[in-house]
Amino acid sequence: MPITTTRRRLLAGSVATLALPAFARAQGAVKPRLTVISQWSAGSDGAAITALGKKFEEKGGVWQHSPVPGFTTEMMNKLRAQIMAGDPPACSQLKGPEIAAWSKIAPTVDLDALVAAAGYEKVVAPDLAKLHKPGGKWIALPLQIYSTNMLFLSKRAMDKAKADKIPVTWADFNDLAEKMKAGGVAFPIANGGTRPDDGQKFEAALAGISPLAYRAAMMNLEKKALEGPEIKAAFAQVRKIADWMDPNVGAQHFSTNLKRFIDGDMGMMIMGGWAQGVLRNAGFKFEDFIIAPGPSDNSKPVFLLNADAFIFWQRKEADLQAGQTLMAQLVMDPAIQTMYSQITGSIPVRTDVDLSGEGWSEGQRTTAKALKDAIASNQAVLSMAHNMAQENGMTAAMIDVITEYVKNKTIKPEQAAARLAEAVESSR
Amino acid sequence: MKAGRPAFPEWVRRLPEYLMIWVPLLLSAAHLVSFSLWTIWISFTPSTLVPVTGWVGLRNYSAVGASRNWQIALDNLLLFGISFVVLSAATGLVLAILLDQRIRGENVLRSVFLYPLAVSFVVTGTVWSWLLNPGLGIQKLVHDLGWTSFKFDWLIDRDMAIWTIVVAAIWQSSGFAMALFLAGLRSVDADIIKAAQIDGAGPIRMYRRIILPSLWPITITVVVIQLQFAISTFDLVRALTNGGPGIATQLPALVVYDLMFQRSLLGRGAAAAVLMLLILLAVLLPYAAWRYVRRRRSSHA
Repeated sequence: MPITTTRRRLLAGSVATLALPAFARAQGAVKPRLTVISQWSAGSDGAAITALGKKFEEKGGVWQHSPVPGFTTEMMNKLRAQIMAGDPPACSQLKGPEIAAWSKIAPTVDLDALVAAAGYEKVVAPDLAKLHKPGGKWIALPLQIYSTNMLFLSKRAMDKAKADKIPVTWADFNDLAEKMKAGGVAFPIANGGTRPDDGQKFEAALAGISPLAYRAAMMNLEKKALEGPEIKAAFAQVRKIADWMDPNVGAQHFSTNLKRFIDGDMGMMIMGGWAQGVLRNAGFKFEDFIIAPGPSDNSKPVFLLNADAFIFWQRKEADLQAGQTLMAQLVMDPAIQTMYSQITGSIPVRTDVDLSGEGWSEGQRTTAKALKDAIASNQAVLSMAHNMAQENGMTAAMIDVITEYVKNKTIKPEQAAARLAEAVESSR
Repeated sequence: MKAGRPAFPEWVRRLPEYLMIWVPLLLSAAHLVSFSLWTIWISFTPSTLVPVTGWVGLRNYSAVGASRNWQIALDNLLLFGISFVVLSAATGLVLAILLDQRIRGENVLRSVFLYPLAVSFVVTGTVWSWLLNPGLGIQKLVHDLGWTSFKFDWLIDRDMAIWTIVVAAIWQSSGFAMALFLAGLRSVDADIIKAAQIDGAGPIRMYRRIILPSLWPITITVVVIQLQFAISTFDLVRALTNGGPGIATQLPALVVYDLMFQRSLLGRGAAAAVLMLLILLAVLLPYAAWRYVRRRRSSHA
């Protein structure tokens, strides 16, 4: 275990020495301690979890965070190694259906009492809540939410297209793209070329065409829905989007093209809410772009949920158990969720947090309102491209088909739909 | 008094040598063998997230074999392996012959050509991904110079993308082939060359009939080393195309990594790894047999 002597601890130590008689009285209670692993080490994510750790320490806890930078899967490799060695962290980052899968390989903590005490269940989207209580009991807690299908519009590209109306349906979207093209926007769609990028275009298309079909096909993997006409329509829409993208992106990250997007060389971007943070970090102003919910053919917002969460692993040590209780209380606390989301640009999991105040952006307010409306109309669904709808293996099999389709223009939508159904069958 | 007879028996005196050689050798061999056996065992189990016991026979193998990713990876391996080995050996040979002309600055040039080998494959892949990107690299440069109809977009063309990996791999490792060939050229008997010169052989004839035939053992070494590199290529592709566009440049090592660590399908990943091992053995076993036969022949001669 690394020995870290911070000034805070030295201070705490000297205070403890001075207050020895008082300490003797309080010996019955243990000092909460928490071992955490996550992938969040740098940028706004790193800043947010560091701030959370500070809050934990303010409440008298000992915060021991070991970040594993890189993809989520690399964090999972460390988690797997620790679990197999019989030494899981008290708490780790994990999300979506992976929570259910991993909870089968090591015992987790039952959080039902804590969740009930905080009244948390009432303020969490139902589909999201289900993911965090796989066996009927809460074992993990969601922390923050992103939507993966927000529509970002470049102000300059809108000017070029002489358009001022935000597209609501896919037909509006396609019209606007044509107008942009005619108005001299070289590539109406800004995009990266990574696998999740391609997956996101497809899920945004399908959920926007029919949230019902999305739920049946992507979340429940119903065979009939997978062979349904909506899937073909979604692939056809993805082809249109692909034709409007810059083919040169190769395997680049979406952030590579943000400058061209703001300059109006590229017009629209379908991306997760985190793009707002990336745009702001790159020094662009809120006046340069508009954030709206992704296109939806029934005109009511469709929200593709992506939520980060913490799962709690059973430990025998009293101090770790106390630390888990404290951490769970903090994660559900509206003030903590506010602090966290304001740093990362996400929105809080709690639907009762007021976003009208200082520190929230227009984009976050739009996103939160979209989530509320989508839950009301039962159009809040789980993101496939970001591993919320299915386990990693199934997601990867589906994205294989989608990414090949995006990059190979000779594949017909019907063929892609057949391949998708086939890929799902062979990975069940 | 003592000088006459050795202070220690022979085996004690040589003990440090044995320890230095055999302990690390046995340890690494044990690691290699035990982990290979472990992987083979896992490939027959239904393991997904963590290793579990159980027996599924060849199901993991048939699942991997039937997957589109693996089929594409095998096709690519065939194309990449052959073209990379042939072209890098040819480039290395030409460079070695040119360097062998007793030119000035040979040392500098040799270092220049060998230097790419010192660069990590991740760096090579990343830099080439910029150079070959039509919007950033060579194509844009030529367009900016005025030749706007010039087209060089292999990186984003799914039929040609595999060739970008061949190009980058040749850039990286033809210097290595050059170094081996150069050593071979230098070891050709000077007397034979002189005799050929006296007999009036021109330079082309001399290379074709005398020098190149004496290089063939080195050629086989180069081919085998490059082939095993080609089969296990991972970091170069990951940095250059990451298997894309789409899944057009998948290679077996990428599929193994993807199955094990991205998709959490340990059993299938292990099966793919075992298949890779078999491909490697298909190259290495004939090579070992050839070396064995040659050694026997030379000791009998």
